[in-house]
Amino acid sequence: MGVSSGGGAPGRTTMSEINVTPMVDVMLVLLIIFMVTAPLIQQGVKVNLPDAKAQPVEATDKKLVLTVDASQRVYIGEAEVKLEELEEKLKTNAKAQADKELYLHADRTLPYGVIVEVMAAAQRAGVNNVGMITDPAGSPKVSKPKKKDP
Amino acid sequence: MRAAMLVVLLPFAALAQAPVLEISGANFRPLPLAYAAPATQDDGAKAHARELDEALQFDFSACGLFQLLDRKSFLADAKEGVTASSINFTNWTNVGAEVLVKVQLASDGDQLKGDLRLFSVNAGREELKVSESAPSKDTRRLAHKLANAVYKYFTKETGPFETHLAWTKKTAQGKDVYLSDWDGRNPVPVSVGGINTLPSIGPAGQVGFTSFKKGKPDLWLWRGGNAETLVSSGRMATGIAFSPDGKRIAYSLADGESAQIYVANADASAPRQLTNTPFFINTSPAWSPDGKRLAFVSNRGGTPQVYLMSADGGDAKRLTFQGNYNQTPDWSPRGDLIAFTARDERNAFDLFTVNVDSGKITRLTQDQGNNEEPSFSPNGRLLVFTSTRNGPSQLFVMTFDGNNQTALPVEKGTYSTPAWGK
Repeated sequence: MGVSSGGGAPGRTTMSEINVTPMVDVMLVLLIIFMVTAPLIQQGVKVNLPDAKAQPVEATDKKLVLTVDASQRVYIGEAEVKLEELEEKLKTNAKAQADKELYLHADRTLPYGVIVEVMAAAQRAGVNNVGMITDPAGSPKVSKPKKKDP
Repeated sequence: MRAAMLVVLLPFAALAQAPVLEISGANFRPLPLAYAAPATQDDGAKAHARELDEALQFDFSACGLFQLLDRKSFLADAKEGVTASSINFTNWTNVGAEVLVKVQLASDGDQLKGDLRLFSVNAGREELKVSESAPSKDTRRLAHKLANAVYKYFTKETGPFETHLAWTKKTAQGKDVYLSDWDGRNPVPVSVGGINTLPSIGPAGQVGFTSFKKGKPDLWLWRGGNAETLVSSGRMATGIAFSPDGKRIAYSLADGESAQIYVANADASAPRQLTNTPFFINTSPAWSPDGKRLAFVSNRGGTPQVYLMSADGGDAKRLTFQGNYNQTPDWSPRGDLIAFTARDERNAFDLFTVNVDSGKITRLTQDQGNNEEPSFSPNGRLLVFTSTRNGPSQLFVMTFDGNNQTALPVEKGTYSTPAWGK
């Protein structure tokens, strides 16, 4: 990035590249997000999934599923973990570290901030691929009414 | 490469599918093993749980078969039961475990009893249950017995956890020789005071070593607490090695200008000189597992190299042709490999193996200080050696192909010349 164009006199050089540093800072770098369709993954914790029209990825093998329910409780698989412990739990988790991937199974009513917090914890733990589990898109537009979790 | 080493792990023989894991070779993958903290049933057991736990964790992590999973990642309730029906296996799948080990500890007078259960996480089934007991003061031995049962379940071989090491520790004035468990713990002094070095363990548990107690190096024999001189001649005697059947010893005798290899009966009677190269050094004899051959170091070709010869004498054949400083050979109990120390092109000492038949050399250590003095475990799967990677020379173990290099949990100090009892 520090390569300047040409060897002109000081003060006369122009910066000919785009400085990407601020952009890198802003984004959750390298966090790859994709959509996973829900029916393939059976979970014990009940959440209302968002619908999405994005092209879904077929969940082939069993990845770790991170669930956040409507009351913002976080689960790895079926076991509840505290949000502040999530990073360490994922950092030491041999499966997550081998796959570098997990599926996020979060309730549609959750605030954006909570999801970002969970995804940031995953990213700090080195799990850079996060699959967002959604209800299959492309199903009839008139979706049946969903019952809300208490 | 060699059929004997490619023994296949038989995970869960009850499963219909073919065995999938190899214990060595390119396809080897350590088995992810979750070992939960032991459950105790009474206060007497509680007092020893930590010691047992430490020993078991080290056994599982250092033996090279397993990837011991970090307890911090565990999702299961700490109070989860020890029977298959009370275990939520999903929580163990979700930490990447394929094998789950649970231990229950109970005390009975001055005895400790350990029940170990091993589960296949994917099948959600108990595959092995063993009960062992030991006196409370031998808590580590109980751990080693339990670990051996697990090792045997997967490899059909006796594990290394109840074997012994002999090694040398530096003191202010000299060096002391100790005999210890496989993990370097429970050291028993064999010879302290003065300079004692180059220990070797015989098949009956006796320890031979070289000592300068009488001014010049002599060979000594330690048996059940008593040490006495075995070979004390006009010349300098060093580097005793017991034949695998314990009936003979090999060593080297040096005078001012050369050192020659001798073989004698176990009581040092009827010594025979095997090498005869005046002005050259012949030293560090190591027996082949069948007791028919010796590997040794000679500088007859100009630089120290590993040679082989019949244990009855006769012509020696040079085995190593790479490097210009190869020493301290040790012959694998499987027969096919000899591990040795070599000084490489950057003047660092590193460990290598050479195939006895093909002469093929394999590097085991690199860029981690000096690594010296390898000695094979009785099953040939592990090597103990010294390394200066963390400062002073320390004891390490690794697999015979250089994987899973692990420091032994011993007191601080400077260690040298480890030898594994075979």
